[in-house]
Formats: sequence, C-alpha cells, structure tokens
Amino acid sequence: MEIKELYALMERFEKSGLSELVFKKDGEEVALKKVVSAPQAPLTMPVAYAAHETRAPIVEPHVKQASDTEVIRSPLVGTFYRAAAPDAPPFVEKGEMVQKGKPLCILEAMKLMNEFQAEFDLEIVAILAENGKMVEFGAPLFEVRRV
Amino acid sequence: MIQSLLIANRGEIAVRIIRTCREMGIRTVVAYSQADRDSLPVRLADDHVCVGPAPARDSYLNVRNLVTAGVLSGCDALHPGVGFLAENASFARDVREAGLIFVGPDPEVIELLGDKIRAKRSAQELGIPVIPGSAGSVSDADEALSAAAEIGYPMIVKAAAGGGGKGMRIVRSGNELADVLAIASHEAEKAFSDGTVYLERYLENPRHVEIQIVADRSGNVVHLGERDCTVQQNHQKLVEESPSPAVSAALRERMGSDAVRLLGGMGYTGAGTVEFLVKDGEHFFMEVNARVQVEHPVSEMVTGVDIIRQQMLAASDESLEIRQQDVRLGAYAVECRINARSAGRVTQFMSPGGFGVRMDTFLYLGYQVPPWYDHLVAKLIVTGRTRPEGLRRMERALSELVIEGIATNIESQKKIVSHPVFRKGEYGTGFLGEILKEGGL
Repeated sequence: MEIKELYALMERFEKSGLSELVFKKDGEEVALKKVVSAPQAPLTMPVAYAAHETRAPIVEPHVKQASDTEVIRSPLVGTFYRAAAPDAPPFVEKGEMVQKGKPLCILEAMKLMNEFQAEFDLEIVAILAENGKMVEFGAPLFEVRRV
Repeated sequence: MIQSLLIANRGEIAVRIIRTCREMGIRTVVAYSQADRDSLPVRLADDHVCVGPAPARDSYLNVRNLVTAGVLSGCDALHPGVGFLAENASFARDVREAGLIFVGPDPEVIELLGDKIRAKRSAQELGIPVIPGSAGSVSDADEALSAAAEIGYPMIVKAAAGGGGKGMRIVRSGNELADVLAIASHEAEKAFSDGTVYLERYLENPRHVEIQIVADRSGNVVHLGERDCTVQQNHQKLVEESPSPAVSAALRERMGSDAVRLLGGMGYTGAGTVEFLVKDGEHFFMEVNARVQVEHPVSEMVTGVDIIRQQMLAASDESLEIRQQDVRLGAYAVECRINARSAGRVTQFMSPGGFGVRMDTFLYLGYQVPPWYDHLVAKLIVTGRTRPEGLRRMERALSELVIEGIATNIESQKKIVSHPVFRKGEYGTGFLGEILKEGGL
C-alpha cells in the first residue's frame, strides 16, 4: 500500500463514526483504531475558551515503517516543554517505560501550562519535538510503543 | 510599522493580504487547518502554522491556537481577513491582550457596530436617514396602528431577537395589521423564546449600495465611493460594481459624507463599509461591516488605492496615503464572484488576462478544493472607462476563464452580465429571482 493511500484511508477513518477498522489487501493488513478517552482536564481554563477545550493528544499509527510504534501528536499550538521547570529533570527520556497517567510533557499556550499524560502504558521510542520550541497543531511529539 | 503579520484566515483573502504585505516588506505567517496544507496561501506566505483540523470551529475559529500561533511565530500583528473571527470583539480583545496589534477597528467599536439597534441609533443621532420604524417594540394592535400612521405601508414586522427571516412578516394595509402582528409575535416567541416585535417601513425591491471607508487614528476618514451589490441570491452578493447605476452625484455626496461622519464620530480605524438601501433616490442606513469586504477590489480598481495597504498603515498608527480631495472616482469597475458548486480537484485552470482584468483567486491546476469552507473560489474584476465598456470586458474575461474538475457558477455569471435588465441598470434586489424564474441559471 502506498503511503498516500494509507493517508487517505486514515483521513476517511478519522471522519467516520467507526472506532476500529481492519483493512486487508494484497496480503497487507492495516489496523486503525480511535483512541476513545475523555478529554484530559487542563490545569486551568479560562471560561472564554470553553468551546476549545484542550483535547487529548492525538495518537496515530507510525507510518514511516510498518512497525508497531505510534506517534503522539500535539492537540494544540503551543510551546513544548519536556520538564516541569527549567532546572527540573525531563518527565521522560528515550527508551523509558512510562505508566499510564504519568506526565509526558507540558504544552504552554497563552500562559497556561497544559500537562499531557500517557494514555496507556508505553515505551518512549523517540522524542520528536524540541524542548522550548513552538509546536503546531498535529506536530509529532513522541514516537511510542504500547506495552 | 508592523514587521510580521499572522493571517488568521484562508483562501483568496489570505492570498490578497500576503501580496500587499510582500510589497510592503512585511513578513507573513499564515494560520491554516489540516485541510489547507496544500493551499496557495501556505505556499506563498513566508511561514505557516497549522492551527487545527479541517472543521473551522477547531481551526479558523480556534481563538487560543490562533493567538498562540501569532505570539510564538514572532508576529507583532494579526489580520483576521473576512468572515471567521473578523467581527468578533472578544477575539480582537484577546489578540490585543496577547500583545499583538489587531488589524481592524478597536474591540469597543466592533461591539457597538455589532449591535444593530445601537448602530442604527448612532446613525439616527447624527441625522443619517434610517429606515423609518417604531421607536421600540410594539405590544398591541392599537400601538402598532398609531406607529403605522407615521411609518407608512408597506411595513415589515420584525422580531427584536430575530434573524433568518423568522418572525418577519410584510403588512400592506391597516386591515391586516392586527392579525399579522399576532402571527409574527407568535412565530418569534417560538423561534427565539421572545415575542417582542417592532415595525419598519418595507422597501420593496431596493438597491443595496455601500460606501467604502478607510480611516487612520489621526482622524483622517476617507470614502472611496460606493459599490452597488444589488445582484444577490439569498442575501449572497454575486456581482458588485462601482459606480452604481442608481446613484447620482448628489446622492453619492450625501451617502459618502454620512458614512464618513458616522465612522469618524466613533473613532473607527482601518477599512470598513457602511451599507445603505437605496429606493427612489433616497438612502437609508442599514449596517456597518467592521472589516475589509470580499468586494473591496472593486473600489481599489476605481480609485487606484490599495485598501489592504491602508489597513496595515492604519493598524501601525501611521497616516493613510490619501486624503478625500485626492480620491479620483469616475472609472468603472465590476466584480463577478466565482463560486464552487462542488468540491474536488481542479483538472483545468485558465485565468483570464489582458487590459483592465484582475483575478484574485487561490486556485491552481491540481488544487484540491476542500468541502469544508466558503464556496468562493475566485473574484474576477475588470475596469473600464464606462459601464458598457466594463461589462463588455467582463463578458470577454468570463469567456476566457476555464475551471474544470469542480462545478462553478461561471455560466450563470455570463447570463447575469449579458442580461438586458442588468445592462440597463434598472433593477432591485429581486432581480436575480426574476431571472431565475425565466430559467437557465
């Protein structure tokens, strides 16, 4: 399957009401699954933005190689921080096993610190965003493997 | 002067803003949704930031992501474009609080103009003619009858909380007033949980004529003549021209000075439009659009003034480049809006050219028109020394325009522009409905 076809499939799947999809063709198999979870409550949220509640990070299958890893993407535009404070140790390091609910990073938007947590037990395969830099909506933050 | 601008919009208007900024040496950053990744503004801007998924409510209306994108990408100003958040006072306030310049009037001014009753009252206080109507709401038939004596028939009953035609009823004589009032009030009650209604004179088949204003902070308020936007379908403008065939020099003078007085009086800055209804040589204030408008190129082509440039100057607290006495009216310009009737990939695209032809579009060969947003895909504008010359040129330009792969309204625009009633210039807002009845659009 071409990457383009896979993207098209993912896009249609995203818009569909389905929560799971297994697609088999020419001996290849693609399984897509939506992460159904309540939006994570941000630390603080001004009333004016209630309509744009911080969404849970977006988790997508990693498409570069047909591997078992997934990519966690930014649900907002903000500054990516790997630690709670400039002198604090990073929340996670490459290769680390992280339990569900543990913080992964902070995304700062409009002076609000939004902490994002692991939604499942995982292993950090790679850290894809740079500390202190802007990430746009959908920017890859972590490549992870479910454990 | 503004150094770096976040454009919180998409499509043709984003391209339009980028072009002027490039000429002014201003860096542009375009905010885009995931559906617009391959769009022309993203290609043309100096930088781009994805602010959300395809649905506008999560991207182009996502205040937090837009403001954060502006701040983090090093911009000192934000241009809202048209539609989306362009007339949202609280957005303008958030932009300002984040330390960015909002390219538009102050939030307080947007707020005042957004309240149609307050705006109408402001106009009235300045002696600007408004559509005659009851001073406030009418509660019973007796009150309505005495108000009607002053307003005159036909009248329209409108819901105070209204919109979308609900609770709106036309009354042609005193005999039917009591019944119509009861029906309208009942309808308003059901639609808005508020049965309050008021009365206004009903202008049958009026012209829709608007005055383009540019203003700076030092109080220089200039009008760039009028645009006639009478050719509409379901309140959507399709063809806009200047000068209006229904406006005399004396009427233009009155409307222009009324518009300048109204916006000047409230400290308006940037580009704005004062909309009037014109009937039998009289003008009536309708409302103000507190932003640049889709059809602004018509006035640009008539006057030679780059309106986006004046907007950027005014937002930078600099002076406009023109004064009223420098404005040259007299040339003719007309715009046809090219709307998509389906989404899809553009498989053929040929843009018209030649003398006096301007094409503002974000289409290109191979572009995938997304199904998520406004259907406007191109604006074709031509100039001429006279209306007949301009309209012949528009026919010629429309015949050169080729867009394939998506359905468009090009054929229908050709029919409007060549229609004898349109050519004659004597028609009202009901014109398009009449041609539609003839069939063929």
